Amino acid sequence: MISLIGFSALCLSSIFSCIVLIPKSILQIKIKYFLFFIRSSTFLVCLSFLSLIFAYVTSDFSNFNVFQNSHSEKPLIYKITGAWGNHEGSILLWVCMISIYGFIYSLLSKSLDSFKILVLKIQSSLFIIFCFFIIFTSNPFLVNSVIVEEGLGLNPILQDPALAIHPPMLYLGYVGFSLVFSLAIASLLKTESDQMWVLETQKWSIISWGFLTAGIALGSYWAYYELGWGGWWFWDPVENISLMPWIAGLALVHSLLMIKGEQAIQRWIVFLSILCFSLSILGTFLVRSGILTSVHSFAADASRGLFILLIFFVTTGFGFLVFLIKSPTKKNDLNLLLINKTSALIINNILMMIAVLTILIGTIYPIIIEVLTNTRISVGGPYFNSTVLPILLPGFLLMSVAPVLSWQTNKIKKFRVYVICFLILSLIITIQSYLTTFNPWGLIGLLLGSWIIVGSLISVILRYKFSFTSKYIKSINSFTAHIGVGVMIIGVTYSSVYQKEFNFNMQIGDEITIENQLLKFDEIKIVDQENYQSLRAVFSLINNNGIISYIDPGKNYYPVSKMITTEAGIYHAWLKDIYITLGSETDNQWFIKVYINPLVSFIWIGVFIMIFASIVAVIKK
Amino acid sequence: MSLRFQRLILILLTLIMLGAALLLILFNTKQNIVFFYTPSELLENNIAPDKKLRIGGYVKKSSFVKKSLNNYEFKITDNTNDIVIFYKGMLPDLFREEQGIVVEGLIDKNNNIVASKVYAKHDENYMPASIKKELEKNNQWKKNYK
Repeated sequence: MISLIGFSALCLSSIFSCIVLIPKSILQIKIKYFLFFIRSSTFLVCLSFLSLIFAYVTSDFSNFNVFQNSHSEKPLIYKITGAWGNHEGSILLWVCMISIYGFIYSLLSKSLDSFKILVLKIQSSLFIIFCFFIIFTSNPFLVNSVIVEEGLGLNPILQDPALAIHPPMLYLGYVGFSLVFSLAIASLLKTESDQMWVLETQKWSIISWGFLTAGIALGSYWAYYELGWGGWWFWDPVENISLMPWIAGLALVHSLLMIKGEQAIQRWIVFLSILCFSLSILGTFLVRSGILTSVHSFAADASRGLFILLIFFVTTGFGFLVFLIKSPTKKNDLNLLLINKTSALIINNILMMIAVLTILIGTIYPIIIEVLTNTRISVGGPYFNSTVLPILLPGFLLMSVAPVLSWQTNKIKKFRVYVICFLILSLIITIQSYLTTFNPWGLIGLLLGSWIIVGSLISVILRYKFSFTSKYIKSINSFTAHIGVGVMIIGVTYSSVYQKEFNFNMQIGDEITIENQLLKFDEIKIVDQENYQSLRAVFSLINNNGIISYIDPGKNYYPVSKMITTEAGIYHAWLKDIYITLGSETDNQWFIKVYINPLVSFIWIGVFIMIFASIVAVIKK
Repeated sequence: MSLRFQRLILILLTLIMLGAALLLILFNTKQNIVFFYTPSELLENNIAPDKKLRIGGYVKKSSFVKKSLNNYEFKITDNTNDIVIFYKGMLPDLFREEQGIVVEGLIDKNNNIVASKVYAKHDENYMPASIKKELEKNNQWKKNYK
C-alpha cells in the first residue's frame, strides 16, 4: 500500500514537472501557478521518499527493495538509513534533492521572474530525466513476488553512523551542482543583461562544494576506522570520481571571485559550472554501471549503466552545445600583469583542471586499455601520488601568497616581511627534518603546509584589525579557508609519510612497548548488541603516569547476513593516533596490527575549518 | 603590457604545465600500472617471474589452508583453471571460500602467487541461496551474483 502511494507520488511529481515545461506559445502559465506546480512537485517527490522510509521503518517486506536491504531486527537508525543504503533508494534521494534545490531556489532567488522561470525549467528537465531513470530502471517500489516474513538485512559494513549520513551529504554536494548547471545554462539562454546569476552561482556553488567536502570527509573517516587498513585514502576509483567534481567545484568557487575584480570571465565560469555537474553524473555512472573494477564498487547492472551514460551524454552534450552556440560575447580584457590576483587565480584554475584531467585519465585509463587491447590493468595509488601531487604543488605554493596579491597592481604590500618569514620558516623546518627522520616529501609537505598557515596569518595580522565581531570573521574568511588547507596538508603529509606499522602475536596478559608506551593485552570481551555480536580485545595503553586509555579493536559478527566486520580500535590524540586491528586467532595467540598514525587529527581539523569557512562564505552572500 | 603579450604568456604557461603533466602521466603509466588477469589468462600468457600483478577470481571451495597464524594458502579459480596463492598477513573480513576476491602479488616460477594484498569485494547485495533461487525463478533476480 505504502509502496503504491510512493510510486504514484513519484509519477505525479514528474507529471507536474512536465507541465511546467510546456512552452509559452502553447500554454501561458502565470508565474503563480508555475511556482505552484514546481513546489507541489517537490512535495510529492518528498512524499514518495518519505513513504519509502516509512516502508523501511515499518519493515514492510512486501516491498522488494525493503526486503533486499532491511531486516526487522535492526536499530531504527539503520532502518531509516537503509532507505538510501542501496541503489534504488539512493537514486530516489538524488532525485528528491534535485527537486528540493529547485524549491529552495524558487524561494530565495532575487532574480527577475523570467530568469527564475528559465532556471527552474532546466532544473525540472533534469528532475524528469532522473525520474524516468528511476521509473524505468531502478524502481524502489517494486512489489516482492515472494511472500516473506523477514528481510535480508543491510550490508553490515554500511551499518555505521558515519556512513549513514555520508550518502546524503555527498549527494547534497553532487546534486547542488545541478542547480549551478541550471543557472549556467539559463545565463546563456537569457535575454536580459541581468548579472544576478553570478551572485547566485557564487552562493550555490559554495553550498554544494561545502556539502561535497563534508561528504567526502565522512566517507574517508569511515574508511579509516571501518576498513582496518590503517589509511584514510586509497585512490580507489570510487574516491577519485568524488574528487573530480570537488576540484572542479573548487576551481569554480575561485574563479567566481574574479567577478569581484573588474573582469568578468563568464565563459570560463559557465564552462566550469557545466563541467562540475557533468563530472558528478560521470561519477554516478562509473560507480553504478560497475564498469570500473573497484574494490568497493557496488552491485553493477549494465542496463542502468547504459541509462546513466545516456543521461550523461544528453546533459553534458546539451550543456556544452548551448555553451558553444550561445557563449557570452562580451569581451572584457583580462588584466593579467603577471603578479596580481587575477593571474594567480587563472594559474590556480589551470592547475586544478590539469589535476582533474590527470585523475580522470588515471581512473578511466583501465577502461580504455581494456577496450583497445583486451588486457585489464589497474592504476593504483602510486600513479596518483606521483602525478597529482606534483601538479598540485605549485598551486599550494601559490595559495599561500595569493590572498595577499592585489587585484589591480603589481605590487605586494610589505613584500619583504613575507620573504623574510618564508626564509626563516624554511630554515627551521629544514633543520627540524634533518634532526628527525628526513624524507623529501615530508619536508615539502610540512614546509608548504606551515607556510600556507604562516603566510595567511601574517596577511590577516597586517591587513585587518583584530576584533571579536562577525564582520572580522567574514573579512578574513578566505584566509581561514586557506589555513584549513594548510593544516590538512600537514596532517596528510605526516600521516602518510611517517606512518609506522607493527605486527605482533599476543596472548592475553602480554605486554609490548611501542614508542615509549606500554600496550597491555587485558582481555577478550564478547557482548551481544542489538544487531550484532561484538568481540573486543581490550588493550590498556600505559605510560609512566599510569593508564592513559583503553583501546578496543575487535570484530562484529552480524548474524542476519552471517558477516564479520573489523572494527579498528583507535586512540585519538592531538599528535598521533594509535590504531589497532585485530586479526585471527590460533592457540590463544592473536594477531595484532598496530599503526602509529601521526597528526591524523590535523586532517579532520583542516576539513572542519574548510567547511566552517564555506558556511561563513554562504552567510556572507 | 599589451593584451596580446599577456595572452601569449598565459597560453605558454598553460602549455608548459600541460606538457609537464603529460610527461608525468606518461612516465607513471609505464611505472605504476599493475596488470590484471584471471587464472586462465595468467596461464596462457606465460608471464616472467617476479612481476607484480593482480589476479581476480573466486576462492576455490575447500582449498583454503591455514598453515599458521596469518600464513595462508588457497586457490583462486575461474572455474576452469586454478592458481595457488600464498599469503602472509591479515585476510579481509569478507574473505570466504567461493567469494570473489582480488589478489595483488608477485608471480613465481611455478605460476604461483606470493600475495602482498588480498581484497574482497564489498557488495550491497548478498543473499541466502534458497531465497536467491526462488527469486531467479520469478525473474526478479537479475544481478550477476555467483
